Amino acid sequence: MRRPSWRVESAPAVGGVGGSRALAYVPDDGGFALYNDYAEGVSVLSTAASRPEDEPAVFWRADRDRVRPHTLAPATEIDGYGIFTFPYGPISMGVPESGRFDVRTYGERVLGLVPVGGFKSRRIRDAVVGRPVVDAALLVERMAGNFSAAHVSAFLAAAESAEAKEVPTAEYWVRGLAQELQRIYNHLHLIARVAEAASQNVGLAQTHALAEEVLRVQAEFFGHRWLFGALIPGGPARRLAPADRHGLSERLGHLAEEFERLWLLFLESRTFIDRIQSTCPVARSEAIRWGAVGPTLRASGVAWDDRLRIPVPPYDDLFVPLPQESGGDALARVTVRAEEIRASFLILEQILDRWAAAGTENEPAGTPVAPGRGIGRVEAPSGDLVYDVRVTAGKVDALQLRSPSRANWPVFAAGMRDAVFTDFHFALESFGFAFAETDG
Amino acid sequence: MIVVASWLEQSMTRGILTSRYPKEAASDDEVPPTGRPPLPVGGPAPGPRARDSCPVGAISDTEVDQGKCIRCARCVAAGLTFTGPVEAATRSRSDLMRLSDGPAPSPGSPPPLASLGRSLHVFLVDVGSCNACNLEVLALANPYYDAQRLGIFFTNSPRHADVLLVVGVPTPEMVEPLRRAYEALPGPKAVVAVGACPISGGAFAGVRDLAPSLEGIVPVDVFLPGCPPPPVAILDALLKLNGRDRAARGGR
Ligand code: SF4
Ligand code: SF4
Repeated sequence: MRRPSWRVESAPAVGGVGGSRALAYVPDDGGFALYNDYAEGVSVLSTAASRPEDEPAVFWRADRDRVRPHTLAPATEIDGYGIFTFPYGPISMGVPESGRFDVRTYGERVLGLVPVGGFKSRRIRDAVVGRPVVDAALLVERMAGNFSAAHVSAFLAAAESAEAKEVPTAEYWVRGLAQELQRIYNHLHLIARVAEAASQNVGLAQTHALAEEVLRVQAEFFGHRWLFGALIPGGPARRLAPADRHGLSERLGHLAEEFERLWLLFLESRTFIDRIQSTCPVARSEAIRWGAVGPTLRASGVAWDDRLRIPVPPYDDLFVPLPQESGGDALARVTVRAEEIRASFLILEQILDRWAAAGTENEPAGTPVAPGRGIGRVEAPSGDLVYDVRVTAGKVDALQLRSPSRANWPVFAAGMRDAVFTDFHFALESFGFAFAETDG
Repeated sequence: MIVVASWLEQSMTRGILTSRYPKEAASDDEVPPTGRPPLPVGGPAPGPRARDSCPVGAISDTEVDQGKCIRCARCVAAGLTFTGPVEAATRSRSDLMRLSDGPAPSPGSPPPLASLGRSLHVFLVDVGSCNACNLEVLALANPYYDAQRLGIFFTNSPRHADVLLVVGVPTPEMVEPLRRAYEALPGPKAVVAVGACPISGGAFAGVRDLAPSLEGIVPVDVFLPGCPPPPVAILDALLKLNGRDRAARGGR
């Protein structure tokens, strides 16, 4: 049994942070901000009022003014003869989700780009209010179906912190397994999408096949291809008895081998490497300045991973490799993801081993201690995901989140400055965005 | 389980295998545990205990509305099982209440649209999805499901399409873009509502501001339940439009 931390007792402490830092979280109600201080390797809570005016997160002001939900303001006004704004979307070819990009251009070069979200807003933040935690979780897992395990894990961690509720160890193991499997799926899917956009055919079919296989493993062991229902306390869908876990372990070994074979195909393909090298580069300083998270941040040379820096169980007790690149381009982002697939297989193996050794199967769930407010943070496939949840009498009072997509949009916009428009698709795909989780 | 492992192994070493669906029935690997509609065990009436277990009100005392079901499996403890036909798409909304009668359409159900011809040109519109439905639709284009072999082609513009696949629950922001996309289809045209979201709001049913269903915005020709429906079910839904689905071919 473990009792989660990150319960917000009262007004959060104001932390002075120096060195290189990036904003992690600004809730719409302006409650507080959370900084990752990369120089010190810590996260710091601070009130919004203490934020300097030249805060890197330019999009925050647009939010506060409610110009339009999730409109990211352009860094600079670009003007000149023949320059116009080309609205791309919300329904646009090649982007499988609804969202818009306002592209500032005079033809072929992208001078500036503003991602405009809000089209897919299903009002989840409002809709969960008043619902019991287990029912709210049904909506939270649909925040982004392909990142459901991360969202539910962060949400539950926040709710459990809020109520200071003890959690059976096995629940954490299940969350770890689900998150790592889904990370593998998303990274594979991203590699396939980038390869497709870059017209790379070698290995493409196999990548799709492997991604499909991961979905089938999820269906078989968690009851659902997208893990819906699998992490909700008392959820009936999953079956992970010792014998099932043994079967899962065998399947994973097989998948890991196939992945090694597959990744070799990509590394040997000069055309693929050449095409994505130097595309949409994000320098280390830019990544920090614009608040990049996840593989995007690590591809720009910053060694930060929530699973290592601020681990929630089970990650506090596991060996988590930290792949890093310094190029900051699409190639670096794809390489980090590929390395992370390997890392995830290793983590999955560790969880299954620990679980088998510990043999804790049927610990009862704890009871809520008090109403309150808690924060849940996990390393989602595309990066740091933060939930801030208030719970009273088992029901959600308020919910805010800062998704990795939300954090990385300005980074993408910065990387696309001066790019050619033909790079747009695979530059976009190399970040692993979801408008769904940005809009909520 | 062994079967899948060998499927993957073969596809890796000898090129990609392609699904046998709809020539053959969907294999167990292609249908996830929650991929079929939930039905009451041993009788048509679910009963009050099942009714109370459902978080989205899909279950009444007498029937299960598959158009609302989000496949959460909570009703399993109250006597329902996922045993309905994986080919769950229907041509009329009310047929989604009668899936326990088997996959055959009800007598009043509209016939296939002869005007569409043998090949379908499909455009995907997301009006507020969680992405899972989008990804299941996209999977049809990958070499395993290879929708092209069945004359199904994805287009880059609604102007080149005759079928609109709609995923997600219509948000107010997407109503106009959706209408415009529909009008851009040259016709003859058809609309498929993919998943619980566009049919009934699904998990988001009753949320303020969101449209209660796609039907009030554009006419719907095929209703495909699921959350999300598995790729084979989406294939079937498309093929039901032009009468080339497995049931029409005489398969069961
Ligand atoms: S699976 Fe869930 S949504 Fe569907 S009928 Fe059963 S309880 Fe209702
Ligand atoms: S029907 Fe279910 S899977 Fe499909 S978009 Fe809606 S919530 Fe997601």
